[in-house]
Amino acid sequence: MTLDTEVQALRQVPMFKDIDPARLKLLAFTSERVSYGAGQTLFEQGAMSDAAYVILAGTADVLIDTSNGRLAVALLKTSDLLGEMGILSDAPRSATIVARAGVRALRIGKRVFLELLGQFPQMAIAVMRELAKRLERTNARLASLSAR
Amino acid sequence: MADGAMDRNLFRYIWRHSRRDQLVIFAVVIASLPFYFWSLELPKRIVNDAIQGRAFSDGKQTVGAFDVTLSLPGFLGGGSWQLFPGFQLDQMGLLFGLSGLFLALVLINGGFKYWINVAKGALGERMLRRMRFDLVRLLLRFLPQTLHGIKPAEAATIVKDEVEPIGGFIGDAFVLPLFLGTQAATAMAFILMQNVWLGLLAGSVVAVQLIVIPYLRREQLRLGKERQIASRKLAGRVGEIVEGIEVVHVHDASRWELAEIGGRLHHLFDLRFRLFKRKFMVKFLNNLLAQITPFLFYAIGGYLALKGQIDIGQLVAVIGAYRDLPPPLKELIDWDQQRMDVQLKYDQVLQQFLPDQLMAEELQDPARGRNEPLVGPLVVQDLRIMDQHGQVVLDHFTLDTTLPQHVALIGEGAAASALARVIARRMEPAHGRLQLADLDLTRLPEAISGRRMAYAGPDPVLFPGSIRDNLVYGLRRCPREAALSDDPAYRRRLAEARATGNPVDDPETDWLDYAAAGASDPLSLDLALVAALELTGMGADVYRFGLSGRIDAGAGADLRERIVGARHRLRERLASEGMARLVEPFDPARYNAQATLGENILFGVPLSGPLRNGRLTADPDFGRALNETGLADLLVEIGLRIAQTMTEIFRGLPPGDPLFEEFSFIAADDLPDYGDMLRKVSLRGPSALTLPERLRVMAVPLDYIEPRHRLGLLDEAVMQVVLRARARFRDLARARGSVAFYDPAEVCEAAPLRDNLLFGRVAHGLADAEAKVTAAMTRLIEELGLREEVERLGLSYQVGPSGRLLTPAQRVRVHLARCLVKQPDVVILDGACTALGEREAERILRMLLDHLAGRTLIAVLRDDALGEHFDSVIEFDGAQARLVRVAQASHHQHFEEVQA
Repeated sequence: MTLDTEVQALRQVPMFKDIDPARLKLLAFTSERVSYGAGQTLFEQGAMSDAAYVILAGTADVLIDTSNGRLAVALLKTSDLLGEMGILSDAPRSATIVARAGVRALRIGKRVFLELLGQFPQMAIAVMRELAKRLERTNARLASLSAR
Repeated sequence: MADGAMDRNLFRYIWRHSRRDQLVIFAVVIASLPFYFWSLELPKRIVNDAIQGRAFSDGKQTVGAFDVTLSLPGFLGGGSWQLFPGFQLDQMGLLFGLSGLFLALVLINGGFKYWINVAKGALGERMLRRMRFDLVRLLLRFLPQTLHGIKPAEAATIVKDEVEPIGGFIGDAFVLPLFLGTQAATAMAFILMQNVWLGLLAGSVVAVQLIVIPYLRREQLRLGKERQIASRKLAGRVGEIVEGIEVVHVHDASRWELAEIGGRLHHLFDLRFRLFKRKFMVKFLNNLLAQITPFLFYAIGGYLALKGQIDIGQLVAVIGAYRDLPPPLKELIDWDQQRMDVQLKYDQVLQQFLPDQLMAEELQDPARGRNEPLVGPLVVQDLRIMDQHGQVVLDHFTLDTTLPQHVALIGEGAAASALARVIARRMEPAHGRLQLADLDLTRLPEAISGRRMAYAGPDPVLFPGSIRDNLVYGLRRCPREAALSDDPAYRRRLAEARATGNPVDDPETDWLDYAAAGASDPLSLDLALVAALELTGMGADVYRFGLSGRIDAGAGADLRERIVGARHRLRERLASEGMARLVEPFDPARYNAQATLGENILFGVPLSGPLRNGRLTADPDFGRALNETGLADLLVEIGLRIAQTMTEIFRGLPPGDPLFEEFSFIAADDLPDYGDMLRKVSLRGPSALTLPERLRVMAVPLDYIEPRHRLGLLDEAVMQVVLRARARFRDLARARGSVAFYDPAEVCEAAPLRDNLLFGRVAHGLADAEAKVTAAMTRLIEELGLREEVERLGLSYQVGPSGRLLTPAQRVRVHLARCLVKQPDVVILDGACTALGEREAERILRMLLDHLAGRTLIAVLRDDALGEHFDSVIEFDGAQARLVRVAQASHHQHFEEVQA
């Protein structure tokens, strides 16, 4: 798997789909490719947010610590982006991610990610657009919940 | 003046220490004078007797010469004995005979000069050595309170630079005026003997030189000194501006600063200009006098010769003698000037090094050490301590207790620390008594306080060198018998040391007192050092240092075998635990995908030359191997592809962006060059590149690692060529010894221990690979009993100047461990742990309390959170102390039991 295939994978991520391929190549090049065996942890809840990840292959569980122990709340699959909220808001990890089957991921360092956003407004706008969409969805869901 | 210090008067100091040598040189100078006089006299005879033939005037064909006759002066009867009848010579024979004699005299005079110069030089250097040594010895005797007034840089400058001209002068101090003075007097006397008038003429010119020129020079000297001070201040101001440049910019003071500097420069210029004028005036006068006198001699001397009052021979001799006169005079004047200058410098040096009070010399006498432990009743009576400014820090402090015990001195103010420092002999009390058993603690010899006590203050002072060097500092007590005692060079060294009042101790031999650390040899000492570091919480760091350390070239075959064995065991272990793919081992026959392309070609650790600086392509062997195997062309091709990708993906980033530095194969500034090269190649093919361009492009892929950079540039074919280049390079470089090659069956001394154990590269892109491999390695090291060896290697870790290569916390830990290594009876802890943070400081304090059971620990604490663990607790409020709890009877009893 080379840089070009990774760029293809990045284009599948909604947040990055409108970004110039040369920028995605820079993003891929400055990221680190990491493989996790089944059961290996990508990061722990409460830890410092130092990177975002894009899953290139495999699946991973999102686990949240509750008073009743760990709870799996979601399943991540290929082309999912994770951990990006933490590095944007400087908040600690809100969940633990554990590889279910072997996972291949692209690890985008926080410093690099913020640097790229600072240098390329197009990327920053794409990220904002994605965040705005999420907010809109959340608002809509809240509205439907309160209407009930 | 304190005893053992230096004389106020430089000449007395010089005379006191070099009397004998000076007298020997005097004697030789006196002995040389007759020869000198003779060499002046001889030209007269050559001209008169041999050339003008006066000796043959009465028609003789031969004349007697070179007879040796001893005659008694008239008042002793006037008898004479001919010891050697001499030769009968004709005019030619006489000429060559006398000329030959003249040549011999020239040689003899030269020989005298040479000997005198060498003797003077040696004398000066010996005195310089003595003076420097005396200064450093004085420095070591400074009392703690006086030491604060000395700036380290100033003291170093004084010892190194400022005494240097004094040393240069010492050789000349007595000899030069004597030598030149007698020489000038001889010449003068000679001229006078030839003709009184010419003598008086020469004398008056000399008088002008001796009176006027020194007067002018004196002013020159004053200006010179003023200039020196002004330029020193200029340097100081420039330094201030540089240090405070932020403030200058913040407050827009540039204009003022520039004006200020401009003013200084004008002053400096003015001084220098005045100096110049003086200097050239003196030169002019000197030249004038030197030129005018011969004129007078020719004119007046010629007149006298024509009148028949002197003969031509005399005139030639007078002119010859006069030529010899000005240089000694000039040097004499110089000497006088130097004398004033040097005396001034000496006074300045002494001012710095003669405080009112020095430590008594006997307190540093190594013979005053004792072997008994520092225990017994501790009595403090009416102690008063004052600080630098004369403020009373602690007053009316009285204590009666017994050591060993653990004492907490609690207080936020200066009192607790001051008391600790007084007990540690780091400060003198203003008043009061401090007695331990029969010892007066305020006058405790350093041989006792330095060996049986350890004071850990807030500043961890480390010396450059290894951690080991720093830890054993407290054990450097007494030199072993020198092994080289029969070596002539060593004997000479000793003789010189004795001649200059320097120590005869040999710093090269083993000084360590192993027994004091509970050890018997270097090996067991190392273990004790590691144990001390473990106590202060630095075990893991030392282990880490050891892994990154290089195996000593002197390491035994046994250790090497164990390391290579461990290397194989690690491989098996990783395989059996399913971690084999985390490490890709170095295999001479395979391309290591996890290492850089350059490493794959080198396949070893560079030892020297351009390879060492990472400029692989600059190495001739490397270039040859690439060219011969055809890898060079491949590298150019790959390099161009990388350049293509880099220009593509980094386009649009500003040149100073940190991403460039961190990720790009090509620096931002170089990208345009590579753009040009790419265009050139796309038009005309790779052959269009010039040789320097080719070399630049070739260097680009050397840092490439496929699994990390993922540009898909390496295929099997390229790897095969790389392997061929590796083999070829190995053949070429082996002869030169520029690379330590990896060999699965050998230790690679140039590589860190960790690399030697791993013998491969940790795979990129596998989660936690590094941590897992390190953990497996550590487990294995423990199992094989290698941890000790690793830690010993870690002791060789260099701490850098003032320990700057260590973190602040590590410095504190080494500092503390150094105090523990010498196993003192009394440990005084005064803020040493503050830099570690509250929690760690508490942990170390608990550890010390435990470790020092049965010995004395005096700790300065800010609060009494741990007070319950101490036998005695003393609280300080301002300058007053409150004895919260003082251990008494039981300890006295215990002490008596011990004594019994």
